[in-house]
Amino acid sequence: MDEKKLTRKAFWAMVQRDLLVQWRDKWEFVFRVAMLPFILILVYGYMLPTVGILPADFPTHMFCGMIGMSMLITGIHGTAVPVSMDFHNLREIEDRLLAPVSSRTVAYVKMFVGILESFIGGLIVLPISLILMGSKISIQMDASMIPVLILVLILTAMASAALGLLVGTIIKPSQVAAMFPGFLMPVVFLGAIFYTWHQMSPLPVMQGIILIDPLTWINEAIRAVMTPQITSLPLSLTMIGIIVWIVVMGIIALKRFDRMVYNK
Amino acid sequence: MMNDAILEVKNLKKQYQTKNGIVDAVKGISFQVHRGEIFGFLGANGAGKSTTINMVTTQLLPNGGQIIYDGEDLTNDVAAIRRKIGVVAQHNNLERSLTAEENLYFHGLYFGMDKKLIRERSEELLKKFGLWDRRKDFVKSYSGGMAQRLKIARAMLHQPEILFLDEPTTGLDPNYRNILWDQMLKMNKEGTTIFLTTHYMEEVENFCEHVAIMKKGEMLAYGTVDELEKKTNTHSLNDVFLALTNRDGVDDRQSANEEE
Repeated sequence: MDEKKLTRKAFWAMVQRDLLVQWRDKWEFVFRVAMLPFILILVYGYMLPTVGILPADFPTHMFCGMIGMSMLITGIHGTAVPVSMDFHNLREIEDRLLAPVSSRTVAYVKMFVGILESFIGGLIVLPISLILMGSKISIQMDASMIPVLILVLILTAMASAALGLLVGTIIKPSQVAAMFPGFLMPVVFLGAIFYTWHQMSPLPVMQGIILIDPLTWINEAIRAVMTPQITSLPLSLTMIGIIVWIVVMGIIALKRFDRMVYNK
Repeated sequence: MMNDAILEVKNLKKQYQTKNGIVDAVKGISFQVHRGEIFGFLGANGAGKSTTINMVTTQLLPNGGQIIYDGEDLTNDVAAIRRKIGVVAQHNNLERSLTAEENLYFHGLYFGMDKKLIRERSEELLKKFGLWDRRKDFVKSYSGGMAQRLKIARAMLHQPEILFLDEPTTGLDPNYRNILWDQMLKMNKEGTTIFLTTHYMEEVENFCEHVAIMKKGEMLAYGTVDELEKKTNTHSLNDVFLALTNRDGVDDRQSANEEE
């Protein structure tokens, strides 16, 4: 069997393996993915706007942010935790790393599965959003923008997988519990979910800081497509921003992955 | 004359950076494994055996030296070398969320095996290792001995030319040690080269043609059991091992603990 064919076969076998393992834990997955957006939507998208503490159009601001957040967090979690566990605790990955293909194949599989999980994360948010904030969300997206939206969502999923692989090569399993307060919380709350980048103009330092968060670029891009009535960063700029994040995080993550594979 | 070495290791080195500085885990060792032989690789805990195995099985990058399979440098085509080798690690690296059958199935797919062949080989190996009745059970429910047998079955599935076994019989009861040795000898007769580390000297004495003994990252001795006995003026491999590795036994144990 030639090398390319073998690599393809091994790639899909590894994807199949990861999905089978994930499927066996499907309810844990749904709970993990749905819980954070559910609580945030319930409080910020339903309760507070309904009683008047937040403006009535707040759910529209928040909806795009919830999609971005859910996709990013799901992809990060779905890639980072298995990578960290596999290398440091279970060492189950060794059989795949001994397959007669480049070790990078294993990293690409992890990222591919992270991308799929990220999409599922986005899909899970939709019904929750529609049930709790449906009538309050104003989407003004032209049908011609659907391909652009799909592209933005693909880039979002890729960014989540790249960041997930990077995080997975940095944290140890004993640090996973600290990942939420130490990493995911800042990413979520500084990621322009509840506000836009322009709304932060009275706080220029914070405007600069939140640009370090990839979620800001993602949410601004999704808003630019789905809710053009809200002032966002230019779509082309946000897409370039996401691509830069993917490339930078991807390169660093793959280098760190190689180092973990060959310099244990 | 043709060189019959399936594996040649030349001046292999590995260093680790630790908090206390650089540790030389493997200090320029050289040896050969001949095609079709059973090769015994011995050393006290922490001698550098597993580090060496990890390097020759493409799992760890050396800091120096050469690893040559069939005359080809390992770095030329790592994937091709992986097709030739089967590896049984010391620790349990099975997929615990999969069944025994699935572990073998996916392993076969990673090696590009045909599904029908995977099924046939799996059935044969699972039956041989007494795991057929438990093939649909998740590996996380397996005892240590069962997991060990499954690891060996998995490494054998793609019919490697050289099988690396890092302390394969540790944790196996005498029955399954015999079964394993029957299998290994059968595979060896069929042409599979076996590279073995073990703490059971009688296994090496009975089955290995050549033996290498390591201590603190250095190769202390290499040769047949007879040659090593003559060299150390002893009458058993156990005595050879003790004579070579126990010259400053206290230090040995200390270095082993430090590495662990």
